[in-house]
Amino acid sequence: MNLNFTRVLNDTLPLLLEGTKTTIGIALISIFAGLLVGFVSCLMGMSKNPVLKSISKAYVWIIRGTPMIVQAFFVFYAIPQFFPGVTPSPYVSGFVTLTLNAGAYLSEIIRGGIQAVPVGQTEAARSLGLSAFKTKIKVVLPQAFKIAIPSMVNQFIITVKDTSILSVISLNEIVNNAKKGIGMNYRFFETYIVVAIFYLVIISALMILSMYIEKRMNNERKG
Amino acid sequence: MSEKVRVIGLEKHFGSLIVLDGIDLTVNEGEVVCVIGPSGSGKSTFLRCINRLEKATGGHIFVDEEEITNKKININKAREEIGMVFQQFNLFANYTVLQNIMLAPVELKRMTKAEAKAKAMELLDRVGLSDKANNYPSQLSGGQQQRVAIARALAMNPGLMLFDEPTSALDPEMVGEVLQVMKELAAQGMTMIVVTHEMGFARDVADRVIFMADGNIVEQGTPAEIFGNPQNERTKEFLSCVL
Repeated sequence: MNLNFTRVLNDTLPLLLEGTKTTIGIALISIFAGLLVGFVSCLMGMSKNPVLKSISKAYVWIIRGTPMIVQAFFVFYAIPQFFPGVTPSPYVSGFVTLTLNAGAYLSEIIRGGIQAVPVGQTEAARSLGLSAFKTKIKVVLPQAFKIAIPSMVNQFIITVKDTSILSVISLNEIVNNAKKGIGMNYRFFETYIVVAIFYLVIISALMILSMYIEKRMNNERKG
Repeated sequence: MSEKVRVIGLEKHFGSLIVLDGIDLTVNEGEVVCVIGPSGSGKSTFLRCINRLEKATGGHIFVDEEEITNKKININKAREEIGMVFQQFNLFANYTVLQNIMLAPVELKRMTKAEAKAKAMELLDRVGLSDKANNYPSQLSGGQQQRVAIARALAMNPGLMLFDEPTSALDPEMVGEVLQVMKELAAQGMTMIVVTHEMGFARDVADRVIFMADGNIVEQGTPAEIFGNPQNERTKEFLSCVL
């Protein structure tokens, strides 16, 4: 078989660059929103209020128990059918899906981090007279986040790659745009090699950034 | 001497397990009370009830005439007056030594940052660790960590100090330095309740020794009485094992 990368790059590169913008953009805002959702869900799940607790548990259960492609279809196709007039764009639907998805996993990751902080840390803070709230903010959460960072980075990587699933709701991210290119030249092999390289570069950049952050936090610890 | 702590009929149950079975005790201002006894006798649970880290099932505890066991009191305020030192040190891993000591006085608005820092440095000097102010707990030995933990508790100027087996997690060569700090504290007139397995410390420093077994105070008296002439069979048996 003859490889023809020049042809593929000519047809597809502008599309892929355009798609990369969408992929990185939607991944970034979904990660930030997902962190917020996850944090709130985690606090709700650990609260003593049974209603808040149940909401958080149900949310995590539903998201973890269903494939993301179903969630994306639900937000994009099912909700507009049920609520005529609510017609979210692929971008908004994708953002909502990714945020809810990442939020559920991050909720569990943060909970794991909090539970990994030894109970003695809380007892020491409380014995000094700090309130439960101040103890969380000043003592438990900073340590919990540090513990959770590797798992959170892992989730961020998954979220970046999960954007590709949103091609099914016609979001013009990398994969969907690659398909458009293939429609012009039928060059599956070369196109998907290039697509894979695009993802590898994005994820590698994310990994280098996270290694840098972890290293900095460890240096801080050493004083 | 005025009364610092009064415990009346204190009970603690974990399900069907009775850990404390009606403890009565009064501790006076400036008194050093050492609590000894076999493991599982409820010593630590008793100590943890005094600042309500453990909720009592029954009975009453008063510190400075305020009822700790009353659910309506502001327990955080009450705890500011009661310092506690733990077996596992429990220094805040995310803060330096200095920040560990300054945290509570600053957060609870007892002192400005500058005042808290001055106080922290003074306390570190007292426990002989001025040069470790900017280190993190993980860089310190067990004995050093425990001395910082004592300084941290003292930063709030508590009127009562609780020690929960403060030397049990230490390597043998570090026990002395921690006991030395506690001795000095006792000499300065601090009211202290110390759960300990260090019989030498109890004998030298305690004003009163309490022997606990099975959730009860079995016997109490001066160190000379308890170590020299124990009356109760359980006390005799325990002391013959540890001395």
